[in-house]
Amino acid sequence: MGGKQDSTKSESMATTKTAPDLLNSSIFSFKSLKLKTKQQELLIRVSILGLVYVLAFIARLFSVLRYESMIHEFDPYFNYRTTLFLTEKGFYEFWNWFDSESWYPLGRIIGGTLYPGLMVTAALIYWTLRFLRFFVHIREVCVLTAPFFASNTTLVAYFFGKEIWDTGAGLVAAVLIAICPGYISRSVAGSYDNEAVAIFALLLTFYLFVKAVNTGSLAWALGSAFGYFYMVSAWGGYVFIINLVPLYVLVLLITGRYSMRLYIAYNCMYILGMLLAMQIRFVGFQHVQSGEHMGAMGVFLLMQVFYFLDWVKYQLNDIKLFQTFLRITVTSAILVGGVALGVGTASGYISPWTGRFYSLLDPTYAKDHIPIIASVSEHQPTAWSSFMFDYHILLFLFPAGLYFCFKRLTDATIFIVMYGLTSLYFAGVMVRLILVATPAVCLISAIAVSATVKNLTSLLRTKQKVPQSGSTKGAGSSKASSKVTLDQSQPFQKNGAIALLLGVFYLLSRYAIHCTWVTSEAYSSPSIVLAARGAHGNRIIFDDYREAYYWLRQNTPTDAKIMSWWDYGYQITAMGNRTVIVDNNTWNNTHIATVGRAMSSYEDEAYDIMRSLDVNYVLVVFGGVTGYSSDDINKFLWMVRIGGGVFPVIKEPDYLVNGEFRVDKGASPKMLNCLMYKLCYYRFGELTTEYGKPTGYDRARGVEIGNKDIKLEHLEEAYTTSNWIVRIYRVKPPTNRL
Amino acid sequence: MSNKIYFLVLYVLNLIFTRVGKGENERNESDERKKEILIKIIDLYVVFAVFTALIQVAYMALVGSFPFNSFLSGVLSCIGTAVLAVCLRIQVNKENKEFKDLAPERAFADFVLCNLVLHLVIINFLG
Repeated sequence: MGGKQDSTKSESMATTKTAPDLLNSSIFSFKSLKLKTKQQELLIRVSILGLVYVLAFIARLFSVLRYESMIHEFDPYFNYRTTLFLTEKGFYEFWNWFDSESWYPLGRIIGGTLYPGLMVTAALIYWTLRFLRFFVHIREVCVLTAPFFASNTTLVAYFFGKEIWDTGAGLVAAVLIAICPGYISRSVAGSYDNEAVAIFALLLTFYLFVKAVNTGSLAWALGSAFGYFYMVSAWGGYVFIINLVPLYVLVLLITGRYSMRLYIAYNCMYILGMLLAMQIRFVGFQHVQSGEHMGAMGVFLLMQVFYFLDWVKYQLNDIKLFQTFLRITVTSAILVGGVALGVGTASGYISPWTGRFYSLLDPTYAKDHIPIIASVSEHQPTAWSSFMFDYHILLFLFPAGLYFCFKRLTDATIFIVMYGLTSLYFAGVMVRLILVATPAVCLISAIAVSATVKNLTSLLRTKQKVPQSGSTKGAGSSKASSKVTLDQSQPFQKNGAIALLLGVFYLLSRYAIHCTWVTSEAYSSPSIVLAARGAHGNRIIFDDYREAYYWLRQNTPTDAKIMSWWDYGYQITAMGNRTVIVDNNTWNNTHIATVGRAMSSYEDEAYDIMRSLDVNYVLVVFGGVTGYSSDDINKFLWMVRIGGGVFPVIKEPDYLVNGEFRVDKGASPKMLNCLMYKLCYYRFGELTTEYGKPTGYDRARGVEIGNKDIKLEHLEEAYTTSNWIVRIYRVKPPTNRL
Repeated sequence: MSNKIYFLVLYVLNLIFTRVGKGENERNESDERKKEILIKIIDLYVVFAVFTALIQVAYMALVGSFPFNSFLSGVLSCIGTAVLAVCLRIQVNKENKEFKDLAPERAFADFVLCNLVLHLVIINFLG
């Protein structure tokens, strides 16, 4: 029948991705397989979600197919090591683990300073698979945890979209978030980091909370408290939730949308969520003592005040009296709250915002006061190109979606608007936070796409009789679909609608192509294995990092201590299985500054520092032979700044010439003779790296080095990898006194 | 140590009172009377819980806040049950138009479930 055909066709245009839709419509044209419309819809929806689930998983598998199934980057190695420990020793040992293999000689209380959510999740999956007699290695589980949870996130996005707008928006949201590069960047296979699980927990918490506010049921609020607990256990970014939700409640209160459902949802979530969150050792009592969490408590007390006012309004039936009472109570409540906050902050009981989060509010803070936060590449402000790269068409669909949300303001759409705007602000401050904004951007863009497509397709179907066009558009509201009639003054509306629909189809297909290209080219590199194109176009793999770590593992005594810059700490402990001085946790700035000072001093002073730290081996990363630009010489100025931040003997201008960082003949003498320079360029002066250039030509800096004749007095070269990327030196014991 | 015992006693008292509250529910009265009594019981329970929390805070002011987790769990259990009872009251009160099609059994079941979770976490947190 004509009506049914149109409905399947327009649904397929709305989603634009799945071939089986067209197949379905051709099947259903046979009378023998006639299902009712509702069942057809359900089938389409379930098949779309199933395909999106699979798509989200396989889009993230590029690096597993190209290289091998391994853990990427730096932080995931720590997570892998802790998960390994958890599966081998059990939960009790894990929860109380004190690690003496990192931050020598201080050690690190791992049990109390990590977010266990990711490790426990992976361990649970591992134990479940083992129970079902799939004897996989824990590394495989770790590598594939992130894509698995990305698929789950698409499901949550579908339900969230359904809650905010309707099922069409939910489906589009699921598709958009499945391949959005902003999310893929931190959740490829192998990127075994907290964000892999945290974004799922974030979206789940928000979905359950919005559901609780919409229904006013205690059970959903309890669910959102559990979602919040999962988020707290997974990532330090839970501070975003504990500030966004109270801000949202505040906005609702100010716009006069206070309701009993809001009261029930927020109170239950806050109390139960706070209690559950305090079970994580790393979070501890922060919910009642830290400045970042005071907003939630303030809004909690404000809600009680509102409830009290509601009750008073109900008792007194007099409006004027109530108004004056209202004014007095609200002002006194705010005053009391402000005074309490002031006293708490002044007396030091409520700790102020920590540097990490304060630098989000004041982006210039970190550069001046905490160089270690400023030095992380992911913490830099975002460029416009990053936004375009990570979002593509969603960038202009986002304001369109905002328009639709403002047209139909409900509690749920207010929430998603606030989430979108606040997260986009933070995404502009720090590149890493594009990840947090991605679900909001996808959801709002989905609303734009879904509403537009709905309007257009309803225009296409208005020639048909009213009963057929009204019933078939899913479970959501039929705001625009059923009552639209053709405007007789514009004769080409139908053609225009078809043209616009084709335009939407084209845009979405370009989005899909862009996302796949970005994933393949930019976000699938394991960072620990480098690849380049040879002279004949063949692919050359540089596996130097793992070569060096395995050399350490096999050729050094088991109690050897390795000094390197903090970037490589996690990898050395995980793969090299040796004690390190500093690692990526960066919890002790003075310790890192000591290492920085050692790297930037002359060899004699550095030797004294290394003896005091019991260092046996020093590891540096050098990119001069291969042209690898993320090596230690390029990071050197940060070592100087961090070291100089604690030890004033290290002065940054000593290493610069006219404010410029140079390593060639014109470099400053301190630079040419510091430990890092010597260790990187030892024996490099004899090497020819490029045809037609002199010996000792540094390909990463593009200059010939200044000091070619380097002699080491207190260290000797232990190992240099095949492409000179990692160089290991042994610290010689002091000479015998005669 | 004595702090812990004191908080534990108060927590047990809390539990007993909840059982008493549940017992009252099964009386054979007409629906309206039952609802009115229920509201009054809930109000009384909230007052008791807040009062208990205030006693605990006063006690903490006297003897200091070590161990802090026990103090927090004691106070938060009182505040938590008070808040949950208020939520129950909202859902059961027939004057709230938003909840007129919510069965009171469902509201009570939610209340019991949330209390269960609350007290499980409190026991873990009590130390």
